[in-house]
Amino acid sequence: MSEVLMIDSVLLLLVAATAIAVVEVRSLYAAAMLSGIYSLLMALVWVNMHSMDVAFTEAAVGGGISTILLIGTLVHTEREEKKRKTRVNWGALLVTAMTGAALIYGTLDMPRFGDPNAPIHNLRVPEMVNQTVGMTAGAKGKQPPPVGWTPRQNLELPLGHKQAYAMQRAHATNEARLKEAGEGHGGHGGQKADGHGAEHEAGHDDAHAHPAGDFNGHVPNTVTSLLAAYRGYDTMFETAVIFTAGASLILLLRRRRRPGENLPKQQSANLTDQVILRVMCKLFIPFILIFGLYVISHGEIGPGGGFQGGVILATAFILYGLIFGRPELHRVLPERLTDILAVLGVLLYSGVGVFTMLRGGKFLDYAFLNPASPGDGEPLGMTLVEWGVGITVCTVMITIFNQLAEEESK
Amino acid sequence: MAWNEIVCAVLLVVGVLISLTGSLGLLRFPDFYSRLHTAGKTDSLAQLCIFVGLALIDQVTVDGVAYPVDPLIRIKLIMVALLLFFTAPTATHAITKAAMLDGVMPWKKGEPPK
Repeated sequence: MSEVLMIDSVLLLLVAATAIAVVEVRSLYAAAMLSGIYSLLMALVWVNMHSMDVAFTEAAVGGGISTILLIGTLVHTEREEKKRKTRVNWGALLVTAMTGAALIYGTLDMPRFGDPNAPIHNLRVPEMVNQTVGMTAGAKGKQPPPVGWTPRQNLELPLGHKQAYAMQRAHATNEARLKEAGEGHGGHGGQKADGHGAEHEAGHDDAHAHPAGDFNGHVPNTVTSLLAAYRGYDTMFETAVIFTAGASLILLLRRRRRPGENLPKQQSANLTDQVILRVMCKLFIPFILIFGLYVISHGEIGPGGGFQGGVILATAFILYGLIFGRPELHRVLPERLTDILAVLGVLLYSGVGVFTMLRGGKFLDYAFLNPASPGDGEPLGMTLVEWGVGITVCTVMITIFNQLAEEESK
Repeated sequence: MAWNEIVCAVLLVVGVLISLTGSLGLLRFPDFYSRLHTAGKTDSLAQLCIFVGLALIDQVTVDGVAYPVDPLIRIKLIMVALLLFFTAPTATHAITKAAMLDGVMPWKKGEPPK
């Protein structure tokens, strides 16, 4: 048994124990804290599996802000779970058991844990890992390949040719793209019947819509590359979902103030008197803010991204609001501003997509952001998109906190 | 055995022992405040020992191959230790204050444990 597996088993046992405890415990505060611990343990499991981005999100969102928001919600409800007559619902138990069995049956088809021959390690990841950001080998700056240059056909392309190939592809005219797509689709239909291997072989074909060198990959962080380019629409609608959550909370909970009516001066807790908390808060908020900004803007290079960074930024503001009182937070960051910024984040994301369409590409085709150097488009577009996500997530989290605290002060 | 490995081992043992006493105290002590006191020790002193000990290691052996440790990792470990050294006591303080404001009374000798 390897070390990784041993650590994983212990962690997963703890995760299972925590999950049972969350269900069993009566006190809702304890349940909220336990769910935070659950997320933290899961983050450790992800770290053990070397998936830093997922771990980061789990720790920031699950362990951090959702625990705060859950406890904020509990202020309005009750501390204890109501006692209910428990009676086994056999139908529900059967459905649950069958779903669980189906999920476990599904995992049997997965490659063995840590299998070096798993498809994920051999298919495209080695190429993606070997990439450098938007550079052509042997050329200064970012340049299109020379006229008459053709990409090589095999998968083991030396680094650099691949980039040049991707750039050449981005330079292709719309007609060529359409033609290519048409042929590609035909090819797909034909080869799908032959199964996976045939489709992989087709990847070498240059006329194919998805050639081997193409994973929209110019960005070293493969996770961001996947999230922001390969499934860019999905991430955009995730951002839209978060925005919708914030908007519906505003509609449901925000009280319309009469003109001249201000926020109450003093909040419920006497935390504003605490010298130690104030000093530590003032000491740490700048670091938290800088870390959040770093995580957002560094998302396409290292672990991180809009969701994690936005949540970290929001935590700084929520901490400020908790320690110095909500009127002070309102002075620093008015509700009107957070409302506008939440909209602007989503608009920034979709705006990048519309901009590339205006430039003649497809929606969110980053190569069209800057026609002079398409290789730069990917990092630039992802940075913009991550900022959109970050702004929306941050402001929506602050809005949720504001609404929960406002209800409390009534 | 190099000096740094010995110091690291000693620090790790000290850290683990303090964690153990902290956990024991958390289970055995009579009331909220004294339990928090033992938990605070684990948060500040034990983590400091463990992180400083780990920062002293200069190579890691995986499957018989020794890899040198990046100095950046040591700086990060020290930074995490410093961060926790400031935030953990503050959190303990905040919890204690909140309990005090909430009217939790400290245990006195002779009373049954809460």
